[in-house]
Amino acid sequence: MADYWNIAPGMESALKECFTRDVEADVTLEFSIPEKDFNNAGKGSSEVKNLLKRLGVDSEVLRRIAVASYEAEINVAAHSIGGKMTSLIYDDRIHIKFEDKGPGIADIKQAMVPGFSTADDLVREFGFGAGLGLPNIEKNSDALHISSEAGHPTLVEFLIFFT
Amino acid sequence: MSDVTYFHAIQILQDNCTGCTACVRVCPTEAIRVRDRKASIDPNRCIDCGNCVTACQFHAIIPSSDPLDIIHKFKYKVAIISSSFFGQFTEDISYAAAKQAILELGFDEVAEEAMVTGFMIGMIRDYIRANREKRPILSSNCPAVVRMIQVKFPALLPNLFHQEAPMSILTRYLREKISEQQELSDREIGIFLIVPCVAHVTAVHQPEGAYKHLQDGAFSTGMIYGKVREIIKRVQNNPKEIDTYPQGLTWALSGVQAELVDCEDIRALSVNGVENVMDILSRVEDHYLDQYDYVVLRSCTNGCVGGCLNVENPFVAMSRIKKMIKEGESKDINVDDLAELYHEGEFAVVPLAPRPIMELDKDIKNAIKKMKQINEFLTMLPGLNCSACGSPTCYALAEDIVLGKATIDDCVVLLKRHSKEDED
Ligand SMILES: Nc1ncnc2c1ncn2[C@@H]1O[C@H](COP(=O)(O)OP(=O)(O)OP(=O)(O)O)[C@@H](O)[C@H]1O
Ligand code: SF4
Ligand code: SF4
Ligand SMILES: [Mg+2]
Repeated sequence: MADYWNIAPGMESALKECFTRDVEADVTLEFSIPEKDFNNAGKGSSEVKNLLKRLGVDSEVLRRIAVASYEAEINVAAHSIGGKMTSLIYDDRIHIKFEDKGPGIADIKQAMVPGFSTADDLVREFGFGAGLGLPNIEKNSDALHISSEAGHPTLVEFLIFFT
Repeated sequence: MSDVTYFHAIQILQDNCTGCTACVRVCPTEAIRVRDRKASIDPNRCIDCGNCVTACQFHAIIPSSDPLDIIHKFKYKVAIISSSFFGQFTEDISYAAAKQAILELGFDEVAEEAMVTGFMIGMIRDYIRANREKRPILSSNCPAVVRMIQVKFPALLPNLFHQEAPMSILTRYLREKISEQQELSDREIGIFLIVPCVAHVTAVHQPEGAYKHLQDGAFSTGMIYGKVREIIKRVQNNPKEIDTYPQGLTWALSGVQAELVDCEDIRALSVNGVENVMDILSRVEDHYLDQYDYVVLRSCTNGCVGGCLNVENPFVAMSRIKKMIKEGESKDINVDDLAELYHEGEFAVVPLAPRPIMELDKDIKNAIKKMKQINEFLTMLPGLNCSACGSPTCYALAEDIVLGKATIDDCVVLLKRHSKEDED
């Protein structure tokens, strides 16, 4: 499997630990994302946003979380054969994981390039396919990890801190 | 939470309430609970959308508008009519006749929201162009939408159109004009609104935001409708010369209003119905609708024609108004005075404060604690969202339990399961 990381220099070990460390989250939310279900795609992210509003998370941080999670959720619906989103909420951050069942990303570096897209006609009909989703996730998250390979599942996960 | 008590123009008649929970299920802000078989409304959460008034089959939730005879306390009585009013009559009744009927209810002068629609459109465009850094600008005319933003989308408060609504502008304008022309003091002039909704009645009694000018009362279209119909029968044989403003009636239709604001450098979107409004606001919040410069938001179906105190179906009313717009010709009104006041900043309104209802606790650690407890209760509850407990969903009941407003015994499904287990 190929791994892609985007972490501010100097923070690597601390943040990688946040991705892997086995501390139980304070609140966990799971949401399944069916393939090409554009009527419901986005509901998972909006549920997370509502939950974070209840916690009183700052509105600008909330917006970044909403944008990143919406893009990742749409990607699972648009480009994979379905998967799920798991939101792990701690008192200082959120860690959201998107795991799908394939078909995977052959070249992650290329997928990260703004404007690169393999969206099919159906996906474009719904207004997606500008190739800006992944770059947007990177821009709005504090740390991003993607793990994938052609013919395999994809994992996209990111961290966003509340302050 | 806040210490302010918010006024709402709805009343629950305890004797009529059967505790059926129909209202609980339609409230967009989850403001209603039924406890001990009676409904009650949380004034901090209610946005005056009127959904519950429409949903109640037992006339237990009633709008409180003012009794018509309060107009007699004033020497000179003025009515300002909502533009949706003219869609409420069958097509054999003319716009002018409906307007004359209001006059003959006992007013000395009748004005309409529609008089200033053209002026409003110009002002909105100007405001958008002067505030390009805030995208999109959100209409502030519907008090229910404004309240929705205060309670659920406070981050969007700066995007509101920070200028007065037509009825507020007219109130000020007429008061000045009449006191000069008739040589009357403010206290002798009574200005009243004929309104399609609870939200407007609330705005009259608790003016804030785009409704900063105080009126002396609000009458609902539904309440005066019977009387108006009777008068119309009379005036149809005896018509007076009356000015009408059909082109201005667009104000009642959110879609047409957006089309009017839309132009080469301004892209406008129209949204109506409270569920759609929530959905769109959530997307605006995430900057997914930044391609729009202006969003017309109305809590009711099709705009104010769908107001809960109107009598006609919103689609029929809309079609009638569209016909009037197409066929009629508006009297021109001179808006120079208004334009001057606008440029002097006289219509600007102060930013509204949030009325947040979402936060579980000011402190995030405590909020998380509460949320964990909510989730624990949630796993015990059956997940049917049946509302039989009096809370709108199982989640809401779990939250009510954690906030000390209910107990797990309120869940009737669990209660039944337990009593069955006891029997076995
Ligand atoms: N979960 C996924 N599974 C498989 N391929 C993916 C997945 N997510 C992204 N991709 C690939 O990466 C490309 C770029 O994704 P990105 O989100 O940046 O753009 P897009 O989804 O094509 O368009 P936009 O997000 O602007 O609507 C996609 O076209 C697709 O080829
Ligand atoms: S008016 Fe609307 S917001 Fe207020 S209690 Fe009724 S349904 Fe809820
Ligand atoms: S849309 Fe119009 S009628 Fe309905 S609540 Fe808002 S202002 Fe009132
Ligand atoms: Mg995408």
